[in-house]
Amino acid sequence: MKAFVDKLFPKKKFELSILFASLLTISKIAFPTSNFWISGLINGMLIFLLMYFAYLYSLELIKIKKNTPLTIVINIGLLNLMLFVIDSLASAFLDHDPVSFRSDVIQTIIRTFIGLLFIGSSAYIYSSIRELLFLHQKKDPQKFFNGMSALIALTFISNSLTVFNENYNFITNSFFVVSIILISINSLRVAWIAFLSKKDKLTLLGIAVLLLAFFIINLSTLFGNGFISQLIMELSSGFHSVLQLLLLFGTIYTSVIFFTTLFHLPTAEVFDKKAEEVSSFMDLSRLLTQVFDFEELADTITNMTTKVCSSDSAWLVTILNGANQITAVKNIEKKDAAIITNLILDEFDNKIERVIAFENKLVKTQLEGKSKQYNINALAIAPLHVSENISGYLFTVRNQNFGFGEDEIKSVATFADYAAIALENAKLIEESIEKKRLESELDVARTIQYKIIPITPPQLINLKISSLFIPAFEVGGDYFDFFQISEDKLGFVIADVSGKGVPAAFIMARIEGIFESLATILESPAKVLIKANEILSRSLDKKSFVTATYGIINLKTGVLKFARAGHVPLILSLNEGAQKLIPSGIGLGLDYGNTFAENLEEKEIILNDNDIVVLYTDGITESKNQYGDEFGEQRLIEVISESRNEDVNEISKRIMEKISVFSRDNSQHDDITLVIFKWIS
Amino acid sequence: MADFNVSTREVGSVSIIDVKGYLDAHTAPDLENEFNKLVSGKQFKVVVNFDNLKYISSAGLGVFMAYVETMRENNGDIKFSNLKDDVYNIFDLLGFPVLYEFYKDENDALAKFKLQD
Repeated sequence: MKAFVDKLFPKKKFELSILFASLLTISKIAFPTSNFWISGLINGMLIFLLMYFAYLYSLELIKIKKNTPLTIVINIGLLNLMLFVIDSLASAFLDHDPVSFRSDVIQTIIRTFIGLLFIGSSAYIYSSIRELLFLHQKKDPQKFFNGMSALIALTFISNSLTVFNENYNFITNSFFVVSIILISINSLRVAWIAFLSKKDKLTLLGIAVLLLAFFIINLSTLFGNGFISQLIMELSSGFHSVLQLLLLFGTIYTSVIFFTTLFHLPTAEVFDKKAEEVSSFMDLSRLLTQVFDFEELADTITNMTTKVCSSDSAWLVTILNGANQITAVKNIEKKDAAIITNLILDEFDNKIERVIAFENKLVKTQLEGKSKQYNINALAIAPLHVSENISGYLFTVRNQNFGFGEDEIKSVATFADYAAIALENAKLIEESIEKKRLESELDVARTIQYKIIPITPPQLINLKISSLFIPAFEVGGDYFDFFQISEDKLGFVIADVSGKGVPAAFIMARIEGIFESLATILESPAKVLIKANEILSRSLDKKSFVTATYGIINLKTGVLKFARAGHVPLILSLNEGAQKLIPSGIGLGLDYGNTFAENLEEKEIILNDNDIVVLYTDGITESKNQYGDEFGEQRLIEVISESRNEDVNEISKRIMEKISVFSRDNSQHDDITLVIFKWIS
Repeated sequence: MADFNVSTREVGSVSIIDVKGYLDAHTAPDLENEFNKLVSGKQFKVVVNFDNLKYISSAGLGVFMAYVETMRENNGDIKFSNLKDDVYNIFDLLGFPVLYEFYKDENDALAKFKLQD
């Protein structure tokens, strides 16, 4: 039926109610007396429809308040109060003479309006009680409720009809009686009361008393022959008996509410506690997945522990590098918590494997010369277990003179378990954040390095150049570059910055700028390096240094001038074979005085056809094999002398092949740079 | 990771730091700690014995550079002894022998400190 109405009049229940209310008013004005049977029938039908739609509309309104049964009860009470007030006011101010008001239109309108208020209120009260009946029911209450509704409707109809023939009154009466029986059965549905908190139950008890009083007053008014009773009778006798039934329903149901609440009061506290426990655990499991800040979680845990265990204070101890640390406190000073923790843990040799509880414990200690005493009436301690280890303890203290119950001790243990998980989570997340940070830092360093280092070497006629750069995962600080100083002069530099990652990349960027500007100004490699050392003294920290080899090749004459500042040797292959060359020179940044300049030796070599110069960084010679042996200079020199007749790219390829065969399964720890020059005259 | 060990002995007024294993970016902080202890204990005469050191990286070298100034300003020094050839080569390439004193044996280094007293 309801589904059918929903389909026919979607969301129009309010409008329909208003429509029928208006029609009723008009009908009343048109036919002020209900003696005429057609007008009586029409009024009856209109009231029936109005009640039905008002009921459906109220149901929608009340659905929203489903989770606050107290509000529903209070609303019923307020409506009752309103009916009572109307009752009193109307009796006092309105004309009582049936003959005179029937001819007065305004009187009729006021009377109809009062009637409408009663109809609307009864619909609302009925739907409110329905909502309460259906709350927290395990079995479907639909059948009994619908039965009751049907009988109330039948009472209405039969009563409306028997107005015309008093002989059939017994039918109405039987419907009325059966309705009362069903009302009584339905009134037993008060499961929702159990789910109220103790405070709410007390409130409900108060409201129920008032509500009961209103219902009884209104009911007695209606059963009597007072003004309102007559007014409603005048409106519709069917509605009159329905209203009686509804008020009776309200009275019975309110009485049931009252007694049920009264009997529930003694156990209300236990029920509250259980409910709190359940919701705390739910909150906590939600927090665990949402909050990664351990401090916040720790605060929540101590807070909830005091609530659920009805204790006065709680604190969380975490073990960091073997030391106990008070992470969160509730209602206790950290200092006091630390003292109690240490004294008690000492007693247990610093290890409590399972949850324990004490009563009446006296903790005495010396604090800054003064002896301090803690009298602990009840104490429970639960360890935070992470796999095999204990990562901390949860303490809770009660000042009242009774110990913790078994269920409370269990709760402490459960909270400790939650804390343990949270602690572990927070740690893992911190680690992964740190890892992410390092990775993004390395990305920055790598980007800098790639921007600085030339992608391809210059293409020249007399000088063939191959350059190869393979960065290590951690960014090693290798740098090389070529400078076209003039048409026949090419400058070059190879350098290795100490350290790794972003700091190395930062210095790398710095020396790139230094060499690029010095290359065009100074024509002597030694002078370039001395000046670079001077400039670097401003930006290098004490423990950083840079090794570098700087050189200039005359592209017409093949004259190579170079100087080495602490860098690995150059390898020269003139005519045949190959040998290393180590002119003296200390690394950049090792000394900012004269020592650097005094020790820097500049070399000059004239390159002939097919002569080879190899520059590299220690990433090549320090490549390791599975036994930890280094590739070394000797192997490098051998490959170069073997392949010296190949072109520069082929030589480079052979060197790298040798290295990769040598260090097969070992990962590359440092940047690898390899620059090869070959003079073709 | 490759392991590294550092310990300090006192011989007269000189502290001898024995380094063992692999001294790289990951283990350099251990050596820094040792130097910090010496500086706060006003021990500025230091010999580093490399007898058991297998490898040193640029980060390891940086530790000596960071502390040598403090030691020298306080009438002390950092001297190196007992270096294996390959370890010495690393120092040598960088030009350390120009700036630091290297000895075949720690006793030579101790003797040098005595001479300066």
